[in-house]
Amino acid sequence: MMEFSRRRLLKTTGLVGTALLSGGLAGAAFSRIAAASVADDPLYAAAKKEGKLTLYWGSYEQQTMEEIRDAFKAKYPGIDVNLLRQASQTVYTRLRMELQNGVYECDSLGTTNLLHYTELKKVGALASFEPADAVNLPDAFRNLDPDMMYHVGAISLTSINYAPRKVSAPPTSWQALLEDQWHGKITTGSPASSGDVANWVVAIRRKYGDDFLRAFGKQKPKVGQSNVDTVTDILSGERVVGSGAPFSYTLTQKAAGNPIDVVAPSDDAILNLGVTGVLAKAPHPNAARLFTNFLYSKEVSQILQKNFWPTLRKDVAWAEGRSLDQLKWYRNTGDDLGPEVAEGIAKWKELVR
Amino acid sequence: MGVISTSREGSTPDAAARPMMPRVPLVKTAVFGAVVLLLILLVVQPFGWVLYNSFHDDLSGAWTLGNYARTFQSADLVEPLVNSLILAVATAVIAIGIGVPLAWLVSRTDMPFRRTIRVLTLTAFVTPSFIGATGWILLAAPNSGWLNALWRLVAGADAGPLLNIYSMAGAIFICGIYTVPYSFTMVSSALDEMAVELEDAAATLGSGTLRTMLSITIPLVTPAVIASFILSFIQGLTLFGVPAFLLTPTGIPVVTTKLAEFYQQFPPEIFMAAAYCMPLLLVTAMLFWMRRRILGRKQYVTISGKTRAGRQIHLGGARWPMFFAALLMPLFSVLLPYAALLLVSLTRAWGQGLSWENLSLYWYWWALFGNSETLTAIVNSLLFSTLGATLCIALGTVVAYIVERRMMPGARLLGAVATVPIIIPGIVLSVGFFAAYTRAPLNLYGTPMLLIAAFAATFLPIAYAHGGAILKGIGPDLERAARSLGAGEGRTFLSITVPLMGGGLVSGWFLVFIPIIRELSVAVFLITPKTNVMTTLIYNAKDGGNYEAVCAMSVLLLLMTLLLVAVARPLAQLTGARRTSRKAAEAAGVVPA
Repeated sequence: MMEFSRRRLLKTTGLVGTALLSGGLAGAAFSRIAAASVADDPLYAAAKKEGKLTLYWGSYEQQTMEEIRDAFKAKYPGIDVNLLRQASQTVYTRLRMELQNGVYECDSLGTTNLLHYTELKKVGALASFEPADAVNLPDAFRNLDPDMMYHVGAISLTSINYAPRKVSAPPTSWQALLEDQWHGKITTGSPASSGDVANWVVAIRRKYGDDFLRAFGKQKPKVGQSNVDTVTDILSGERVVGSGAPFSYTLTQKAAGNPIDVVAPSDDAILNLGVTGVLAKAPHPNAARLFTNFLYSKEVSQILQKNFWPTLRKDVAWAEGRSLDQLKWYRNTGDDLGPEVAEGIAKWKELVR
Repeated sequence: MGVISTSREGSTPDAAARPMMPRVPLVKTAVFGAVVLLLILLVVQPFGWVLYNSFHDDLSGAWTLGNYARTFQSADLVEPLVNSLILAVATAVIAIGIGVPLAWLVSRTDMPFRRTIRVLTLTAFVTPSFIGATGWILLAAPNSGWLNALWRLVAGADAGPLLNIYSMAGAIFICGIYTVPYSFTMVSSALDEMAVELEDAAATLGSGTLRTMLSITIPLVTPAVIASFILSFIQGLTLFGVPAFLLTPTGIPVVTTKLAEFYQQFPPEIFMAAAYCMPLLLVTAMLFWMRRRILGRKQYVTISGKTRAGRQIHLGGARWPMFFAALLMPLFSVLLPYAALLLVSLTRAWGQGLSWENLSLYWYWWALFGNSETLTAIVNSLLFSTLGATLCIALGTVVAYIVERRMMPGARLLGAVATVPIIIPGIVLSVGFFAAYTRAPLNLYGTPMLLIAAFAATFLPIAYAHGGAILKGIGPDLERAARSLGAGEGRTFLSITVPLMGGGLVSGWFLVFIPIIRELSVAVFLITPKTNVMTTLIYNAKDGGNYEAVCAMSVLLLLMTLLLVAVARPLAQLTGARRTSRKAAEAAGVVPA
């Protein structure tokens, strides 16, 4: 009895409160249609009930990812976000072990390797979901998976970077890297350590075959681990030209005042898609869906713009007015890239080092 | 605990009449039981998973010997094993070759600024070797290294590089100098505790300082020297950061970089990686077997009820030359690389080079306040290291005691178990912990306990080896005296052995605490957003290419650890058992004043 009446009392108070509140806010609400739509969003309501979200992300570097997280928290208060940001392969290996051990912690996975998702899809570990705002994506990257199990989470470009103070005429194509003048001057990452470099090796073999790798090996490049090491080597002065280099990250360093610049090769910048998916056994599935959809919001694309990443919306330009249409790009497509990547790494070991 | 309290309730009237001495076998059983249980949970279980994994196929999950066959048949996999052995032997030789004389100089002679050298060597210890490698890349990369730039000023702009850090020699140098602190700490704590009567005898018989050192002092600390040789060797085998940074660019693969490839490729070959560690285990087992052959029948008892340590050897005219020689080690491992890191951390954009406009404290501000992660990570690092080191040293010491005094059948097996974790490279161990602690009986996944347990288990071998080396030097006379006066084994251990180990235990604690705080690989699959630690943050920043942040955070990590060591060391000595117990022993007439 007691409980019943208390509940009723609460209910009544709630109703009255809501009525008063909506009455009072009615005027303001007109000017804040967007805010009102967030509050009315049934997905947000469901996500808020879950109250938590765990992200395993390898796409985007720490800083950009933290900004995205913070923007999400600001837009959707009441959801506590746990972000595990490690290298793509590390978060994926972790997730795989968790699934094998029956641990379900992760809600949303975001990595730079499409193969992760084809594997997860095969074992039924992903949940289908159509993010409404994905209509804003550039057309080439929409509906990545016909079953809506995974979606584009990031766009990254692999290009050539160089030290402008030491190089007046940088190589403008992959082929130009093979000229004599760059002998002993090139730095690059390793396809065995970096997904982006592996992706580049696959693309370059498709374009020019193993002859390119053989000639590239003769240039005696310094092979680091990640493609980020190219930037480090150029800034320190150890080498002057970077191959298989990160486009966005180089621009970030340039903006920070470092003497470095980037060239989009005339024989195509290599484009790699970061992918994201909601786990089938996610403990907070609605929060994960809300986050996936949030990736295609203006807020996120503006954060990406600020950090020199290609944006995820047609209507938000890249930093410095760049856009996908302005450059020539190539993406490795195909159903099963796995064996091709393995072959590329083996060839690299044989011919480059 | 339960066992003890039940035993009390059901104790005989005889035992009740002596409440201070509960029935020995029960307490003994309880303690031994607890030790065995802890070892099973902390070591056997995770290692069991690594072993179990090594016999499985990554793709099908079926039982197989294929991983082992591949390890020994593929030239691709044999080459890294050979390279790793070269790196490990050379690292151990450097660590002993520098660490032992340095320890002798600091512990036993009147060389000036001994404390400074000790602190600086400890500072090298605090430095994660991948940070040391980063510093040395700034100094000695063939084209851009600052030392090479200086060299070109002297030798002309066209001169080849003086130093090339991207080489096997470079990697050996870095691994070596960052492993010296192991041998230094272990040997110097043995020297600190050592009696001087044999040295006195040698001096009386006309032996010179050098001869006394070589023929008396160093042989007496053989257990510590051998233990640190093995530890240094294992360091050389299991370090990841240094070969990853320095050997990858020259295309020299070692076991740890090959392991990283197993994890980084798609699909990851986790089970293959587990099998690939086993040759390391074999090699290290051989080292331990050799140790037993060498130490087996000899006696190294130097701490007994009869003497006390503390005589200084006068170096005379060699004092200052020795000081300058001793200074080389901190110069290479601390002063030069940290100068480089400090300079980079103080620039806003390091590619701009050094100028007043580019000077900024921004990255320190950023590391401390500009992002939400660092402060949590600092607290976590300190908390986990403190708790992990305490658990580790307690367990390691008890195991060492049981083994050294042969207190139970199969004691040596306990010792072997306590030694296993350090031989398995961190990233593989991480998977073992993951498998062991994500299920009953110890489901710790996502909690700080997981990291504390993993850290304690990983460095248990250091605690155990260190404890063993000290115990070898402590004669059982005093323990026997206590026993014959009616003290139980537990009481004897706590009131005689532990106080005698005193200073050694404190140095042992630091020997574990510091590696934990700088450990990276073991944490890789165990951290969560809430239990992140400093090293994983630094590595993330490195991974993201944020060099200024890497340098600033490294300097902060160093300062933080030094501060802690500075606070903890005198504190430990003030409250530490050693002095008080010695006084008590003197008062009781056990130790002559």
